[in-house]
Amino acid sequence: MDFLLRLEQSGFSTWIRESSSLFAFPGVLLLHTIGMGVVVGINAGIDLRILGIAPALPLAPMERFLPILWVGFWVNAATGVILVVADATTKLSNPDFYVKMVFIALAIINLRMLRNRVFRDPLIDKEPLSTNAKILAVTSLIFWLGAITAGRLMAYVGPVSNGIRG
Amino acid sequence: MNLAHVHLLLNHFPTIGFGIGLALFFVAIAAKNEELKRASLLVFFLMALVTIAVYISGSAAQNLLHNRPDVAPGLVRAHEDAAFWALVFMELTGFIAWLGLWQFHLIKRLATWNTVTVLVLSILTFAVTARTANLGGDIRHPEILSEQQSATDDGAGVPDVARSVADFVTGHAWAWPTLETLHFVGLCMLFAVVLIVDLRLLGMAKKFSFAALYQLLPVGMLGFGINLVTGMMFFISTPEQYVKNIAFHWKIALVMLAGINALYFMLVDEPWLVGSGDDAPASAKFVAASGILLWVGVLFFGHMLPFIGNSF
Repeated sequence: MDFLLRLEQSGFSTWIRESSSLFAFPGVLLLHTIGMGVVVGINAGIDLRILGIAPALPLAPMERFLPILWVGFWVNAATGVILVVADATTKLSNPDFYVKMVFIALAIINLRMLRNRVFRDPLIDKEPLSTNAKILAVTSLIFWLGAITAGRLMAYVGPVSNGIRG
Repeated sequence: MNLAHVHLLLNHFPTIGFGIGLALFFVAIAAKNEELKRASLLVFFLMALVTIAVYISGSAAQNLLHNRPDVAPGLVRAHEDAAFWALVFMELTGFIAWLGLWQFHLIKRLATWNTVTVLVLSILTFAVTARTANLGGDIRHPEILSEQQSATDDGAGVPDVARSVADFVTGHAWAWPTLETLHFVGLCMLFAVVLIVDLRLLGMAKKFSFAALYQLLPVGMLGFGINLVTGMMFFISTPEQYVKNIAFHWKIALVMLAGINALYFMLVDEPWLVGSGDDAPASAKFVAASGILLWVGVLFFGHMLPFIGNSF
C-alpha cells in the first residue's frame, strides 16, 4: 500500500489528476477511448465477418488491420497504466478493475487463437469457416463486451475517487 | 446568438422538408420512378438528421423560457411531448430510409419491404411532426388558441413522455451506466466500420474491393443508431448538462457533417469503381480522410463534455 501511495502522490500522478490542462486527465482518457474503438472495433469487425456478416468480404486481407489493432492495444496499455498510477490506491483496491483485466487477457488470448486458426489457415476464404472459428468469434465478442462493461462500471462500483469518474 | 435562435432557424425544416419528401415519394410510387423514390429517401434521411438538431435546440429554448410569466408551461409541455414522438418517428423513418438507400445499390431498385415500411412510417412521421409544429406555434401565437386551451395552463395534467423517460433514467441507479456501456458498444461498431472502409480507400488492405466493404456499412449505421438512442436518452434525462455545453454543440455539429460525409458512399458511383487492388481516386481519399477526422472530432468533443463544458 505504501508503494501505491507513493505512486499516487508522485509529481506525475498529481499532474495527471489535478492539472486543468486538456493534455492531462482528459487527453489520456480520450486516447484510451479512441484506442478502445480501434481495438474492439476492428476485432468485432473480424468476429462479425466470421459469423457471416458481409459474406462477400474476403477474410484474408483483414489481417492487414491487425497491426493497427496492436497499435491501439499498446496505446491503451500505456494510457491505462497512467490512469491507474494516477489513482493507484483506489483503482487497485477495486475488484471490478481485476474483472476488467481478466476480460482483456481472455480477449487477447482469444484473438491470438483466432489468428492462428483463421488467418494462418492456408485454406482461408477457400473453404467454409469451421465451427471452432465461429465459437472463437462469439467468445471474442463476449470478452470484449465484458471488458467494456467492467471498464465503465469502474466509475460506479467498488471504491471510486471523487472527480475521477472516467 | 443562442440555441433558441437555432431552433427558430431550423424548426420549419422537418415539417416542410419532410412534407416535400412525402409528396415526392407519392409521385415516385405512382410513376414507378426508382430514381425519384431514391431522392425521397434521401430527403427523409436528411430531415431525420436535421431533426436531431431541432430537438436539441428546442430543449435549449425551453430552458430559456423557463419561469417566464408570458409563456404557459402547459403549452411548452405539450409541445415537448409531441416533439418526443416526432423525434422517435423521424429517426426511425430516417434509419429505414437509409437501409433502402443502401440496398438500392445492390438490387438497383427500392425493395418492396422498404417502400411499404417507409411509406407507412413517413405518413405517421409527417402527422406527428405537423402536430408538434402546430403545438410549438401555440407557444408564441396565443391568438390561434381555442377557448379550452388556456394560455395560463400550468401543464400539470399534460402527458409528457420525455419527462417519463428522464424520470426513469435518473430514478434507476443502473440505467445511466448501462446506457454508457451501450454507447461504447455502438461507438466500437461505428468506429470500426469507419476505420476499415476509410483506411482501405486511403490505401490499406487494397485487396478489398469497395463493393465488398459496402456490405459492412449497415453495421456502422446500427452502431450509430444505438448511439443516437442512448445519446438522446442522456440528453432527455439531463438536458441542462448539454444545452449550454459548447463541447456538446460541436459534437452534434460534427455528427451532422459526418452523416453527410457517409452519404458519399451511398450516392456517388465513383468509389464503386475501386476494385480489388485498385488505388482509390483522390476525391474518395479526401472523403475517407475527412470521415476519420470528423468521427475522431465527435469522440473528442464527446469526451470533453465534462472538461470543456459543464457535464457531470
